[in-house]
Amino acid sequence: MKFFVYRYNPDVDTAPHMQEYDVEVTRGMMLRDALMEIKRQDESFAFRHSCGEGVCGSDAVNANGKNLLGCTTPVTDLKEPVNVRPLPGRPVIRDLVVDMSQFYQQYRAVKPYLIHKDPLPEQEILQSPEDRDKLDGLYECIMCGCCSTSCPSFWWNPDKFHGPQALLQAWRFLADSRDQATEERLDALEGPYKLFRCHTIMNCVESCPKSLNPTKAIGKIKELMLKHSI
Amino acid sequence: MSRQASGLRAWALQRISAAYLGLYLIYILGHLSFNAPDSYESWRVYVADPGVTIGMLLFVSALLIHAWVGIRDVLIDYVHPIMARVALLSLFAIGLIGCGLWFARVIFLASVAA
Repeated sequence: MKFFVYRYNPDVDTAPHMQEYDVEVTRGMMLRDALMEIKRQDESFAFRHSCGEGVCGSDAVNANGKNLLGCTTPVTDLKEPVNVRPLPGRPVIRDLVVDMSQFYQQYRAVKPYLIHKDPLPEQEILQSPEDRDKLDGLYECIMCGCCSTSCPSFWWNPDKFHGPQALLQAWRFLADSRDQATEERLDALEGPYKLFRCHTIMNCVESCPKSLNPTKAIGKIKELMLKHSI
Repeated sequence: MSRQASGLRAWALQRISAAYLGLYLIYILGHLSFNAPDSYESWRVYVADPGVTIGMLLFVSALLIHAWVGIRDVLIDYVHPIMARVALLSLFAIGLIGCGLWFARVIFLASVAA
């Protein structure tokens, strides 16, 4: 199977280029396996990967124009020749390795942890099964970055717009019955940038390898904001 | 005073104005398909009707608000140098207000003309 892989080493190359590799497809081969085979052929090639089973979120790449996880994408699902590029819009450190600092900064900015103001109970904070169900489809995010780096609004304003990943997590804590900072969280999201750069393009929904729906979460935040404002 | 442009208010206004624009367009297309004024005078009489005048003025207001939020969004997305953004925002604001005033003039003249 033919692969064209984005190669760029800023220490050596003046400009990025696509390099061709031939990989023999084996049964059940995932894109990550193919990239590891390419690495065996050419050890100067760099890419991130870790768990190999769609849990760590390290090996998000752009293959044939779509952001996906290398480890959960069978190569047989990809049209040949496969064009493998780094996640769009992120500064390239080397080959498929990109700088995700802004992505993490936006995540940090939504305070992705429970804020509980009452004195903490002796044991755990109780939550009804119904309230717990509200977190389904939100907590599963593995922070691979497929969504935010496929979002045009995040491409144009990655320093100001939180992006789908961080906003999904913002809603995850707004929706949590144990969290007591709803007003502060909503206030922090006001303004034209952090939340309202979302124009429901929905690339995030299409690219999420865990089938989560950041657009829906963003809609819920807007709804809650409206409720708290009138 | 808040230092930032509005987020929630702009978004809500865009949604509400869109709803009015949608409903009004259905009404006006229906009206023009079945009961279109066929002369200058019948147009004038139609527009001079107080209900129609209010409906049209609301339509123009909703259109201008909707266009303003949309243009503002596009400029915030794509135009990053601050002076260029201010200049373009001003240009569109003046243009939209001008359109609105011109439209209002047309509607009011229909009511006063003999």
